[in-house]
Amino acid sequence: MVRRFTRRNFLNYAAMAAATPIFEVKPLRGLDFILQNSPTPRKFLIETMPGGVALFDYNNDGLLDIFLVNGGKITESLRVPENFDRSDPRYWNRLYRQNRDGSFADVTRAAGLANAGNGNYGMGVAVGDYDNDGYPDLYVTSYGKNILYHNNGDGTFTDVTAKAGVAGGGWSVSAGFLDYDNDGHLDLFVTRYMDWDADHNKICGGDWHTYCPPGAFPPTTCLLYHNRGDGTFEDVSERSGITAKKGRALGVAFADYDGDGFTDISVSNDGMQQYLFHNNGDGTFKECALESGVGLTSDGKGLSGMGTAFQDYDNDGRPDIITTVLPRELYALFHNDGDGSFSYDSLKTGLGALTSGSSGWGVGLEDFDNDGWKDLLVAQSHVLENVEKIDASLHYKELPLLALNHNGRFERTDSGVTTALAARGAAFGDINNDGKIDAIITTLGGPPVLLLNRCDNHNHWLSITLRGTRSNRDGYGARVSVNGQTRFATSAGSYVCASDKRLHFGVGSTEKASVEVLWPSGAKQVLNDVRIDQFLEVREPEHS
Amino acid sequence: MIFLLLMALAGQTATPDALQHLQAGLEARKQHQVEVEITEFREATRIDPRFADAFLNLGAAFMEKHDYGAAITPLKRALELSPELLTAHQFLGFALLAQGYAAEAIPHLERAGAQEALGIAQIQTGQLTEAVANFTAAFPNHPDDPDLLFYLGHSSGLLSKTAIDTLIANHPDSARAHQALGENYLVLRQMSQAEKEYLEALRLRPDLPGLHLELGQVYANSAQWPKAESEFRAEAKLQPGNAEAAYRLGTALLQQGNAHDALVELKRSNELKPEMPETLYSLGKAASLAGENTVAEQSWLKVIELEKNTSIAAQSYFALAGLHRKQGKLTQSQQEMQQFQKLQSTIGPPRSE
Repeated sequence: MVRRFTRRNFLNYAAMAAATPIFEVKPLRGLDFILQNSPTPRKFLIETMPGGVALFDYNNDGLLDIFLVNGGKITESLRVPENFDRSDPRYWNRLYRQNRDGSFADVTRAAGLANAGNGNYGMGVAVGDYDNDGYPDLYVTSYGKNILYHNNGDGTFTDVTAKAGVAGGGWSVSAGFLDYDNDGHLDLFVTRYMDWDADHNKICGGDWHTYCPPGAFPPTTCLLYHNRGDGTFEDVSERSGITAKKGRALGVAFADYDGDGFTDISVSNDGMQQYLFHNNGDGTFKECALESGVGLTSDGKGLSGMGTAFQDYDNDGRPDIITTVLPRELYALFHNDGDGSFSYDSLKTGLGALTSGSSGWGVGLEDFDNDGWKDLLVAQSHVLENVEKIDASLHYKELPLLALNHNGRFERTDSGVTTALAARGAAFGDINNDGKIDAIITTLGGPPVLLLNRCDNHNHWLSITLRGTRSNRDGYGARVSVNGQTRFATSAGSYVCASDKRLHFGVGSTEKASVEVLWPSGAKQVLNDVRIDQFLEVREPEHS
Repeated sequence: MIFLLLMALAGQTATPDALQHLQAGLEARKQHQVEVEITEFREATRIDPRFADAFLNLGAAFMEKHDYGAAITPLKRALELSPELLTAHQFLGFALLAQGYAAEAIPHLERAGAQEALGIAQIQTGQLTEAVANFTAAFPNHPDDPDLLFYLGHSSGLLSKTAIDTLIANHPDSARAHQALGENYLVLRQMSQAEKEYLEALRLRPDLPGLHLELGQVYANSAQWPKAESEFRAEAKLQPGNAEAAYRLGTALLQQGNAHDALVELKRSNELKPEMPETLYSLGKAASLAGENTVAEQSWLKVIELEKNTSIAAQSYFALAGLHRKQGKLTQSQQEMQQFQKLQSTIGPPRSE
């Protein structure tokens, strides 16, 4: 059969042939944030690890706002108890409200987010409406104490950490809200990197004078807080089985990988085995990475796990796991085989050729060209700022990796970024509400970089906001399918970041969409003949 | 040793008084009284200044005392009196070498047939080819001698460096000079410079074996896999019987997820040079990805058979555990996982490259 060559086809092919970059690097008007990681000759390990960014609509005006986590001031004389001088405005975390014209206004002080505490060196951020009041709340992780900011709904936040009981301690990195027991209230998971403080810092690399590898410090445990539903949380880390395994955890992502209706937890550990906490459905978890095939590479090697995403890359309806790592390893892609186990598919999917020389941090599986396949964007940069001196084939600053997904195989394409970055975090969302997923990347010692999606292939899209009623209001943990693609509702994943909670689907040339939502409550909702190219709110039926 | 050698020399023509002191010196040597030895041998040489054995033993006594400078004069006198005294040549060669007079030591060490010491002297005089030849000749008799192993490696390295330096100095525009520079940069992980040198070498001599292979490794080390594949393929075409080229091409294809083509090349490499653990392990990976589970299983089992308790054997157990888990052979998979974990606990976890 001869395929008719339509104008749309022509445009698609013309766009491919021209290979115009999908993203345009746009200055963020009104945003003057610099991530102060404060590197010193003492090589305090925390210096190379921040910082997070959240894309969320804190004032419910329909526009994504930006929250940026700052590091802090570090001096060579840093000792326990550490003081990071966070009261100095240079070291504040910052909230930028998006204006109607696409510019941003710094509302940090007015929002009550100015001083994150002198003892806290900022790392990451999680976003979720933990009290189901319709306004997204913020959880900021740190080396030191973490902070839960309750969104008051009037443009301000209140530090409710003490009341909520979620300060943590030690070195927290990534965090995310999830409803692990499906009780309608968002719980909280926090990764912690290692048992470290300024008095026990080490310098490695001999004459090269480098940050030490993670194995130089003792491992530690992650944290799980259960939301009691009254504004307080209970630390269930031990009772739930999470502390049964110590690790060097950096990234975290959530999805129900075995379809049992309960959200499971993927944790990326640095320089060791990865963890997969299977949710037993009774408030406990079993770490099962090794037997599930996601603990090590196919060669039985550990991974320098940094960021992680837990989404379905091959449209088989099951969430897969991708973990970013350091050079001489490959970004690990574990394909969910549907029988409770995974296959290491980095080679099969093309990541072997794309990633063996790079260091990955923030990562997203998002459909940037709206063709119905989730693509890959990774914030890249080596841990060591002097790595070129040690190995000239490696680079401290790197371009982000953008790889388009062609039927489950990834192929590199021009991201549009022309200047190499010391990138760390990456968050994803439709910042200008044009139906295309944008990205924001944080950089050490520099401003965040906005990658504005300019893809011009005329593919259609559908963006879904979940409104839970019996389930948690954000609908986190829901399994949403659109025309055969699946997303697991979450704002967590990547590295130290929180992404737009809206679920974005590219639908190619399709004119209508069929939507199926499996809510955490167990409710199943089907919407047929849905108009495409719209932002759709799907409200959970209040009765079964 | 010294005692046995010199006892045989004692009793030659000399005055009775001198002979008496020589005997007294030899008795003192038995008692490890080196100062008494020196006194007695010196007395023997005073009484009979033409008594070669007395001078030899006096020199030997100083050698025993590690006073090599003092040993030289009596040993030279011994050789003046009796030029055929091989032991005197050997001791004098050792003494001169110990004092840094390598060139002067060489004829004595040659006469004595002391290959290892001669090799050391030749390193110091820059006679590297001769030094390597002497160490190589000595090697079969002392294959585990750490000093010999050190000097054999050291002299070979110096010879290699000298040869390369000469090549680069005398023939800077030759393909070999560019290849040598490329190899240096490759070791230093300066990939862009290495690439430049190899490309120039290839421009000058496109059919020189090994160049494509090495350039391919430059690209592989810089994660430029399509280019690496292209170079390995060129080498495999140039040298169809080269197992290394086939192996490298196979791994480059595997790295890019091209399992079927990788399998072809890795099988070919295995046929050209069987029982190479790395080839078999990669062959197993390619076969597994290509769905040829029996080949994968056989390859990994062969690695285990060949390697027993090494890191690559542990990896093969892990790979087999994964394969059998997918096949539903859970008991077998668990056993292999246990073997993997057992090996990990003894040899440490496999490391990333």
